Amino acid sequence: MELEQLLHKHFGYSSFRPGQKEVIEALLQEQDVIALLPTGMGKSLCYQLPAYTLEKPVLIVSPLLSLMQDQVEELKRFGEKRVVALNSFLSLTEKRYVLHFLEQYRFIFTSPEMLLQQQVQEKLAQMKLGLIVVDEAHCISQWGFDFRPDYLRIGDWLSRENRPPILALSATATKKVVRDIRETLSLKAPFEFMYNVDRPNIHLGRVVVEDKADKARWLMHHVTETAGPGILYVSSRKRAQQYSEALLQEGVRVAAYHAGYGVEDRQFIQQQFIAGELDWIVATNAFGMGINKLDIRQVIHESMPANIANYMQEIGRAGRDGHSALAILLYAEGDEELAKFVVTGDLPTLHHVDRYQELLSQQIQPIQMLKNGELSETAFRVLDYWLQRESSEQVKVRLNHLALEKYNAVNEMLQIIQTKDCIREHLVGYFGQKLQKKPENCCENCGIHYDVIKKVRLKEKKKVEMATWESRLQQLLMGN
Amino acid sequence: MFHQILLQIFQKLNKERTISAAYHVLRGKRSGQTIQDIGLFQLHQYFGLLPKLSRTTFDEAVNLFMQNSWLNVQESGHFYMETLGLQRAQQTPTFFFDGWHYRGNEHVFFARLSLIVQSLSHQAAAVRTFSPISRDTMIQAWVRTFLQAHHYKEGHLQQQLLTECNHVLTILPVSDASKQLVLYRLSGYQLPGWTWQQLADERKETVLDSQLAFIETLHILLNEVHQKIDDYPLLGHVAEGLKVKILLTDSAKQTAQLYEQGYSMEQIVQMRKLKQSTIEDHFVELAMYEPNFSIGPFVSYDEAQKVWQASKQYQTKKLKILHEALNDMSYFQLRLVLAKGEV
Repeated sequence: MELEQLLHKHFGYSSFRPGQKEVIEALLQEQDVIALLPTGMGKSLCYQLPAYTLEKPVLIVSPLLSLMQDQVEELKRFGEKRVVALNSFLSLTEKRYVLHFLEQYRFIFTSPEMLLQQQVQEKLAQMKLGLIVVDEAHCISQWGFDFRPDYLRIGDWLSRENRPPILALSATATKKVVRDIRETLSLKAPFEFMYNVDRPNIHLGRVVVEDKADKARWLMHHVTETAGPGILYVSSRKRAQQYSEALLQEGVRVAAYHAGYGVEDRQFIQQQFIAGELDWIVATNAFGMGINKLDIRQVIHESMPANIANYMQEIGRAGRDGHSALAILLYAEGDEELAKFVVTGDLPTLHHVDRYQELLSQQIQPIQMLKNGELSETAFRVLDYWLQRESSEQVKVRLNHLALEKYNAVNEMLQIIQTKDCIREHLVGYFGQKLQKKPENCCENCGIHYDVIKKVRLKEKKKVEMATWESRLQQLLMGN
Repeated sequence: MFHQILLQIFQKLNKERTISAAYHVLRGKRSGQTIQDIGLFQLHQYFGLLPKLSRTTFDEAVNLFMQNSWLNVQESGHFYMETLGLQRAQQTPTFFFDGWHYRGNEHVFFARLSLIVQSLSHQAAAVRTFSPISRDTMIQAWVRTFLQAHHYKEGHLQQQLLTECNHVLTILPVSDASKQLVLYRLSGYQLPGWTWQQLADERKETVLDSQLAFIETLHILLNEVHQKIDDYPLLGHVAEGLKVKILLTDSAKQTAQLYEQGYSMEQIVQMRKLKQSTIEDHFVELAMYEPNFSIGPFVSYDEAQKVWQASKQYQTKKLKILHEALNDMSYFQLRLVLAKGEV
């Protein structure tokens, strides 16, 4: 069967997105591949589709449990039943069951730590895999922001004889990171595909304001006067709440979105946004994963992103339909200090190092810290990995070093904001690419005619009214 | 609503317990003490309404009550209600929660129902793929079995469920606003639900109050379904296994089994490697919730009568005071008598 036919049969799409076909063809010729594709541009299809011609299980190593869950759900939505997540959420009985029947699954998702367990390795050694996927491969690199130590160790396991081709996937990677990926995974002359990071239909605005109050004034005015749909990224849950309340007062159809909401509430907001019942989402960076809305016209950053990669990913949610969209980054002097505070908030602290040792001395599993919510999943893994190998003192030095790297990333972002040259050129160059052509209304420094891009907000858009319970029930079940 | 519920609980615990006792009741703490308080002060309906209630939220309410001169809290945490507070408590409406029997299971019921409705809504629109509102694999597996058992593929399940829901909601003695609240926590094809914040804004109340109104409506609905189970073949199935029948804590259940097998209290202490006081808690629990359990082996009839007389005379159920009055009886005996209730 032709690849296009397979695509239609299993996923209902009629054509490939840029890069997908090249990547898949290389894999089917048993070539290793490094594919850099942004989130939402069909990264996962690169391994999903081959699975249907390979007739052998595809193993996907994925670093974040929540992400893994998303991908499993996505496949189930396409009607795939032979999919399993082999991770630490499984009970002992479930794990035994899954391991026993492992070769019968088409998609096996697992985490790096699981892959390091002996029984898992033994089972996999007996199986014939069709493809190994390393998702979020930038986590391998010490240069990445999300360095995941366990990824280093799977390199050894992957370098064994007779392995199937490896597909390393990432949304964002600099040249340095790509080299790390290639070396750590011992890829053999991999085919490299990198999407064009430039999105010519997104105009890159930057607005410098005096202070916090000035910022708030600008934002309130801008959002009430211009048309969405748009996302306003803010730095904290509290800020998200405040802005959404203030904008609601002004009659804007808006909702806050952050990880503090329940799963249902978050899904409701996404659905409302997609259905056009909301014009704006005020979000922390928790928003975006898996959102598939093509006509987002504006992405505004109220505060500085943690790094350039995050910034690109967040503004990249605008204008997926190819039409003009606007990205505006607000900046007030000193914003970088807040950004630095926020980015290091995710790191384990020196206190966590001591606490880890304290638990150990009380013969309590340190993972209890994670269960108590004392630190984030990523933070715990970094802590756990290093403390199993090095002394507390060495780890503390390492943590300080990590903090410094995060500071550097913020500073790189700051350069983008402060540059007097073309912002687009600067951004694209960061990813090791060369800008082919400057679009009209390119960026703040090249000049943007805002009045051409911005659309005036239509104020008659009314809030959705509640229906009576009788008609809501009728609609839900009978569709009318 | 949250404040009204708190006032009612405080009124029932007035002068007898610390304010934390109310917090434990709302969180549904499974300790012997809380379980006994439920029986002694008739707090069944409030048990476990808010398993995730934060101490901060609770303390904020308590502080507000103190500022309003409704409540006086001593340093030890013991409290009494001021006249104003008692008046306020009197003015609160009667609620129809049934926390004791559902203990948070109303959320399981609703998670099942949400996924069923979402599935049927997409099926009616001939849309095969969607992102399930519940990610809980237990719920997903349960709903899959449910849909198959009711032959959803034939396409009549929507109408059947609609008829049942219409029927139950029509006769349910709650306001239309409450019914609307429940319906807007459901979602379907191109019909997003509303977030708690959106619902609370619409109802002009706090998120917590909206959530409580939602829970109350579900409790009333579940009780209606359980009472007339034959009228609700579908909803009865969705509610299956969610009403708590055996009202003992798991640990007390084990103690009860050993006791039934003829082991003495001392033997049970040894066998279960638990503290004497813990096993005593279990016996008190048994006395309270197991009608066939006799306290005869532990307390004589005369002694029991003395306890009740003293309780009336001093107008209290406080163990310390009763123990002073009846110092030849142990605390354990006193608790058994109070738990069993007057004969």
